This record gives sequence, C-alpha cells and structure tokens, in this order.
Amino acid sequence: MFTTLVRTGQKVILRIEDLLNKIFTAEENILYYHGALPNFFMWILFLSGLLLFVYYIPTLEGAYQSVEYITRKVPYGDMVRGIHRYAADAMLLTVLLHAMRVYFTDRYREYRIIAWYSGIALSVMMSIIGISGYILVWDERSYQIVLKMSEFLAAVPFIGQSMSHAFINDDVISNYTMSMAFFLHTGISFSLLVMLWVHYMRISRPVVNVTWSIGCLLGGLILIISGILPATSGPEANFTVEPKYFDMDWFYLWIFPVMKILGNGWTWLLVIAGITFSVLLPNFVKSRDHEAAEVNKDKCVGCKLCSIDCPYEAIYMSPRNDGSRFKEIAVVIDDRCAECGLCVGACNFDAIELPFYTSPTVMDDVRIALQNA
Amino acid sequence: MSETVEKSKTAKETKILVIACERSVNLEKDLDGRKLKGVENALVVQVPCSGMIQPRMIEAAFKDGADGVIAMGCQIGDCHFREGNKFCRERLLGLRPPVIKKSVPKNRLKGLWMSEVQVDTFKKRVEEFKEHVANELAQGR
Repeated sequence: MFTTLVRTGQKVILRIEDLLNKIFTAEENILYYHGALPNFFMWILFLSGLLLFVYYIPTLEGAYQSVEYITRKVPYGDMVRGIHRYAADAMLLTVLLHAMRVYFTDRYREYRIIAWYSGIALSVMMSIIGISGYILVWDERSYQIVLKMSEFLAAVPFIGQSMSHAFINDDVISNYTMSMAFFLHTGISFSLLVMLWVHYMRISRPVVNVTWSIGCLLGGLILIISGILPATSGPEANFTVEPKYFDMDWFYLWIFPVMKILGNGWTWLLVIAGITFSVLLPNFVKSRDHEAAEVNKDKCVGCKLCSIDCPYEAIYMSPRNDGSRFKEIAVVIDDRCAECGLCVGACNFDAIELPFYTSPTVMDDVRIALQNA
Repeated sequence: MSETVEKSKTAKETKILVIACERSVNLEKDLDGRKLKGVENALVVQVPCSGMIQPRMIEAAFKDGADGVIAMGCQIGDCHFREGNKFCRERLLGLRPPVIKKSVPKNRLKGLWMSEVQVDTFKKRVEEFKEHVANELAQGR
C-alpha cells in the first residue's frame, strides 16, 4: 500500500508537470526548478534583510521603534519588509515542494543520501531563523514567542534550564535577549550557505538558479502581495501589560498553537519524532543490489568524458603508471555510483560498463529484436 | 523513379527500433517481448537511462536492419539521473562527444522525450514517425 501511495504521488506530479510543459514549455517549467526556487527566495531574503539591517536596532528600546521607522518613514520600507516576510513564506513553501518532489520521484536515498540529511538540517535551521525573525520586531507577539520558547526549552530534562538561560541570554529578558535573537536570525542565515555547500556535494552541476522569466514572475508576485498585504507589527511589547496580539504565520509559527494544545513535553516528542522519522525515511525502502560501473583498464584511453558526464561525481581521473601509453585512467567510486549508465553513453571505447547490462549486450538485444521482427 | 517506389515500404512495413529509458514511458503492459503492442514493427530495447545510449548503439541498429531509430528519454528537465536526457539530446544533435557518424541517416533518427504517464502519446508519435520514415525511404533518402 505504501508503494502504491508513492507511485500515485509520482504520477500526480508527472501529470501536473506535463500540463505545465504544455503551457510554459519544459525550459520554463517552474516544477523543473523545484530545487532552485528556495535558493531564489533565499537571495531575495538576503538582499531585503540587508536593507532592513541598515535601519534596524537590536535593543529592547530601539527594536520596535526602528521597525516602525522602516515601515513608515523609509521610502518603500514597508515594501521591503513585506518582501522579506512573504519571500520567507515562499521559501518554506518551495522547500516543502522540493522535498515532496524528490521523495515521490525516489531521488532522496542511496547516492543522494547526503542531500537528504543536509536538507533536513537546512529545514531545521530555517525554522529557527523564521521564529527568531519574529522576535526581532518586538511587538506583543515577539514577547509571547520569547516567553513560550523559553518555557519550551526549559522543559527538556537536565539541560533545559541552561538552554532556556542561553536563549534569554540573561536571567530576565533584556537587551541581551535581543542580541541573541539577532544572532540566531542572521548568524544561522549565513550558516545556510555552508550547509548548502554540503547539500550540493556529490551533485555535478547543480541547478541553483531559476530562469530570468521565472525569477521575474515570482519576484513580481512577491512584490504584489507585499503591496496588497503589507507586513505589520502589533502593539509594542510591554512587560506590564498581558500580551494578546498574535498574528499567525502558519509556515514558521505553527509550533506555538501546537504547544498550546499538546503542552511542551508532547510538542518536544512530536518535533523529535518528526526529525527522526525524516532521518529514517530512506531506510524504509529496500535498496537494490549495488553493482557499480566498472572500468576496463585495457580499453580506457583517459579521455575524461565519463568523469565529466557523471552526474554524481562518482568518477575521477587517476594518473596511471602501469606501462600504458595513456596518462590517466578513470576510477569509479563504488558507493557514489547510481548505476545510471551515463558514463557508458559518454564512452566511445567500451571502456566503462554497467556489469548488469553492458553495451555489447544492449547491441545484441537490438540485433535479436530486429531479427525476430 | 518507379524502381524506388517499388523498393520503398509502406508505413506499416517500416521497422522502427526504440532505445528507451526504462523510467520514461511506462511500457510494462504494452510490451510483448520487445514488440510494442498496438504498433506494427516497432521494437523497444530499454536501458537504465537515455544518457546511456551510445552513438554506436544507434549505428548498430541501422546496420541490423532498422529503418528508423528513436532514442527516448524522460521529459527534458526531468531526468532521474539529472542530466541523462539532456546529454542524449546533445549527442543526437552532434553537440556532445561522442558524436554520431555521418553515415547514420539522421533524417530517420528521432529523439523523443516523454514521461511515464504518456503511453498513448508515445504510440501516436511512433506511428507518425513510421509514416515519416516511409516517406523518407520512398524519396530514397
């Protein structure tokens, strides 16, 4: 039943893509850039974040006023703020799309396992960036987030108190709390780049950019939404007043209603179970018997074509000194090999073959098929 | 002229060989051995990815008596192994080494890029290609 579900998911995705191909052509099909989309929004976030950073003051007294200044006084400041908010939502949405696409098309395990694990890490980092970003505004919602988050962290046995203390960065909420939130927001944002480098490991020529037309379309969409529904703050946080305002962002702040319903302990269990499930997901499917491509030493001329074409960086060229007149030989890294045969297609010398279906066998099959017809 | 017409085949008689990626059009229920059900004289050999198709395989197919050859992969932009179909297309166009020999009749060689769910479209395209090949043969090309 599980397999049927995955197969159906794949068929649905393929049918949608086929439809989009007919409307936009394959070169401009948005779903073929599912990995580049979050990246596109990330750059928008870096850029708009930089503009906000120019005026933002990360202190208890300054934060709310500076955000209000950006929104009301700075030319197009409300627009930039809106872009920053909606691009963040769009990024998470496209990350979910990306994750679903690779899951249903079975492109997340075996030779792609590094991308899957680093993807989980990236998602967790994004959630922390999102939540800490909502603290920076320092309205009543921010105040509630700090209160609930510190309780949530304190609920962990043994290390909870220290974690909560580190998060508040003092015994009580102070300017240090703001600097901590500011660090979590910007510091982890830049760490995304490091984790993305891990995410691209073993992927030759990753598709990291959308086309100009898709970029303009989505950028324009974000611009229009931020014009129609500008991002706003609630009332300024005040320690003497019970905070009530909590405008919901279901992409990043979903954990707070969950905390309210389930309580801290169960929410922790849910979060840990969710991450563990994602980490274990690739193990639920049985791997095929692995038979990596093999290089024939006598035939390889060291032309590099297979190592260039390999989509998973599984082939490298190694200098040879076995008396051959050729200087280099292709070497296959077995556990990176996806058994796709792209190297076979690139080789004009029959020097690299998939053991389970060699190119002479393919040609035999072609001959037999034609003879019997 | 009359001789060439006599030698040439009708669309039905032309032999088409499809070297297909096993992840593109799902032919599980539409293959009888290597014969494509519903289309006469159409044979299918499946490989793990269209990127595995060597120019030599195409040359061999023509040498072994195919009138037309189709190299089929998934839709461009969507390859399970990331770039296989793009590489295959570039090879068919002569833009990526190894290139196809000049002796191969490129007018009877076709690249087809379809996803798993497009079985009916695939059969229609093969039929169209058969007619095209018959036309080309009739004109002695």
